[in-house]
Amino acid sequence: MLDAQHGAAPVASVRDLKVYFQTKRGIVHAVDGVSFDIRDGETLGLVGETGCGKSVTGRSFLRLLPVPPGIQAGGSVMFNGHAVCAACAGVGCGACGSTGRQAGRDSSVDLLGISSEDMRRIRGDRIAMIFQDPGKALNPTLPIGAQIAEVFFQHRTEELIALAGLPADTAGAIRRFASQSPRFGDGWLLALPGARAQRRQVEAALAKMVASALAETQVPNPVKLMARYPHELSGGMRQRVMIAQALACNPDLLIADEPTTALDVTVEARILELIRDLQQRRKTSVLYISHDLSLVRRISDRVAVMYAGRIVEIGATAEIFANPRHPYTRGLMAAAPSADTPRGKLAAIRGTVPELVDPPSACRFLGRCPHEAGACRSNDPALQVVAPGHSVACFIDHPAPSGERPTYDRVTA
Amino acid sequence: MRAAAEPQADDLILSIREVKKHYPIREGALQRVVGHVRAVDGVSFDIRRGQTVGLVGESGCGKTTLGRVIAALADPTDGGVHYSMDGAMCRIDRLEGKAARTFRRNCQMVFQDSYASLNPRHLVIDLVGRPLKVYNEAASSDLVERVVELLDQVGLGRQHLYRYPHQFSGGQRQRISIARALALNPEVIVLDEPTSALDVSVQAQILNLLNDLQKERNLAYLFVTHDLSVVRHMADRLVVMYLGKVAEAGETQAIFDSPHHPYTRELMAAKPDMEAEANVEIRGLEGTVPDPARPPQGCRFHTRCELATSACGWEVDDVVRWLEDAPGMFEHLVGVERTTEFAAELAFDTEEAAGLLSMAVRSEQVPEAMRAAMRRLNLDGTKVEIEFEDVGEVELTARDDGRMAACVLAPQEVASWKSP
Repeated sequence: MLDAQHGAAPVASVRDLKVYFQTKRGIVHAVDGVSFDIRDGETLGLVGETGCGKSVTGRSFLRLLPVPPGIQAGGSVMFNGHAVCAACAGVGCGACGSTGRQAGRDSSVDLLGISSEDMRRIRGDRIAMIFQDPGKALNPTLPIGAQIAEVFFQHRTEELIALAGLPADTAGAIRRFASQSPRFGDGWLLALPGARAQRRQVEAALAKMVASALAETQVPNPVKLMARYPHELSGGMRQRVMIAQALACNPDLLIADEPTTALDVTVEARILELIRDLQQRRKTSVLYISHDLSLVRRISDRVAVMYAGRIVEIGATAEIFANPRHPYTRGLMAAAPSADTPRGKLAAIRGTVPELVDPPSACRFLGRCPHEAGACRSNDPALQVVAPGHSVACFIDHPAPSGERPTYDRVTA
Repeated sequence: MRAAAEPQADDLILSIREVKKHYPIREGALQRVVGHVRAVDGVSFDIRRGQTVGLVGESGCGKTTLGRVIAALADPTDGGVHYSMDGAMCRIDRLEGKAARTFRRNCQMVFQDSYASLNPRHLVIDLVGRPLKVYNEAASSDLVERVVELLDQVGLGRQHLYRYPHQFSGGQRQRISIARALALNPEVIVLDEPTSALDVSVQAQILNLLNDLQKERNLAYLFVTHDLSVVRHMADRLVVMYLGKVAEAGETQAIFDSPHHPYTRELMAAKPDMEAEANVEIRGLEGTVPDPARPPQGCRFHTRCELATSACGWEVDDVVRWLEDAPGMFEHLVGVERTTEFAAELAFDTEEAAGLLSMAVRSEQVPEAMRAAMRRLNLDGTKVEIEFEDVGEVELTARDDGRMAACVLAPQEVASWKSP
């Protein structure tokens, strides 16, 4: 409904997603009725302050939230993954833009409803995630190569066996080795001379796949990097490893949760460039979660602004930045210091994000909004289209059920 | 000599002179000192009353360490911080007794992480009232009133007195830290990334608060941060640090108008303003900050600088670093015998590898400036002799309008350079 005027089929559609958390003070409505689409091949930026539910939304795609205390209170996340290209069987041809995949015929699944086994098949293969802190997301006890190899073990067993030069019907201990599902006794079986040679072939094939995945992220000397441990690498390098790991299986959707927040500005620019470059080359769709408006402006095609568990404004990046409608979006933009703001005159948004225990039926920005009127106190604004591809949840742009609406002087850029 | 250079006190509060802070690296069972991490390696600048000095740089450039030295939380290895007391400049690490107490109450610090810097077991009244108690400024009911007054100034109230830090949001906790720093009415506050953990809307509140307090009390700030947009908004003067040294210093606006050091330029290019055109090119820096235990010769930035010339201090380490990243070369390197930092004999295990290296360093594979700086290159069996031009440290030099920059290039060359 939101994006009916655009033709491209969405790779994922979130509908009325509700995620609550049980706490001592009551049930916190962290995400409370969020709906948006991620179109095929686009980068959608999700911005908002700490505690507005953007990370919870991102994690819902992969079901990475702990339940309990999390409560899946409703809604759906439909994922329409790409199918293997029929023309080339995944090798890459003209028809699929040498990605080996084609926008699927309707094969959407509700990520919140499928079984854990199905979720495991999607997680890391069709949908991948880059986390904020690569120092915590990488396993400190495993070398880089082994960590990336796990993705291939989980999702690319067939390719691994083929690349190792073994017949496709290889079974037994070797197949179990190549899919990382060992059974009791496999250690001895793999030590037998014949199996040992095959195992070496698989390991060599694996090393090749890992090295090429790392090389994609422009790290110098990937083969050497594979033997290193995360603590030996700089923050930027670790983030590159995470990106290599996430993109190893050529996912249809990449969820990047503040991937550059822990990095220096100079490194941040490089990583941003890298994500953008890889996204364009592979036509991956990206959900880019960040609190930094200037970053999101640079990387995304469309922007969704989240506040207190809701999306308050969504639209094309250029449109949102040229013509922000929601007072919260306008506040966020004004709060960033710029060259000509007089000192001490930054437009701060008063107050803080409310705690979302039993939120009242009123606009959530109430109390922080400079334009609030009577209608905002008794009605909860819903997202409404105000211009082609631009929706806002604010009574300023569409009247409340009572017909009343607050006003502000619109700035035209 | 240093005594002669000591600045005169007028509105000067702190004068940082050639401050160095080296941390020993210890190794082995006997914990022998095998080297030093040069966190801060000779930095000088002044802080005046009512002025904000911004200290910027990447992580690991020594800006936090320098902040701690200035707040007397760490003693400098060499050089000193001079504090203006009763019209004379005194070195703070030599102050004793009453004078030391006077300095400590006049120089306060606000830390980056308000979770770590506020004791979770103490109530707000204890946290903010502690400095008043220690300096016998107030007691009992008077103390409560003073704390309320301070909380009031930072936008908190009486209702917050008997709460613990965990009951506050990040922005409120940072306000408590600021109230604590203000308690003794200091002259200087060292702000170590006070807003980097905060959201942009809360950051705006804190920055406005800091500005109001500065105007009210004629405070001097040392604002340590990596965020250029914040520093541009806050600072009168800017000190850009790279690897323990000052790369550039001067008036904030002048530096933003035309950076004289390529590093400043790169920092600014990495994070354009919200006002800038949406499609303006963003640039990052190649590689990482070098190891401060073995800082590069010449200009410390030459290993990452796109404008580097042959006079920037190319050295043997640059060749070794290049070898590390070159596939299949480093494994063959068996020894590096240095005669100086600029000349060495690299030994390989095969003649082929040695030949490959001597070919590579003559080719496009290494930066042109590095080739130009090479004075000698001899291939002798499995050994390669390399010698670079011996270049001294690139010093911070005065430029026009009171600016300083440590770069061999003229400002016009830095300004007109375009990325290829």
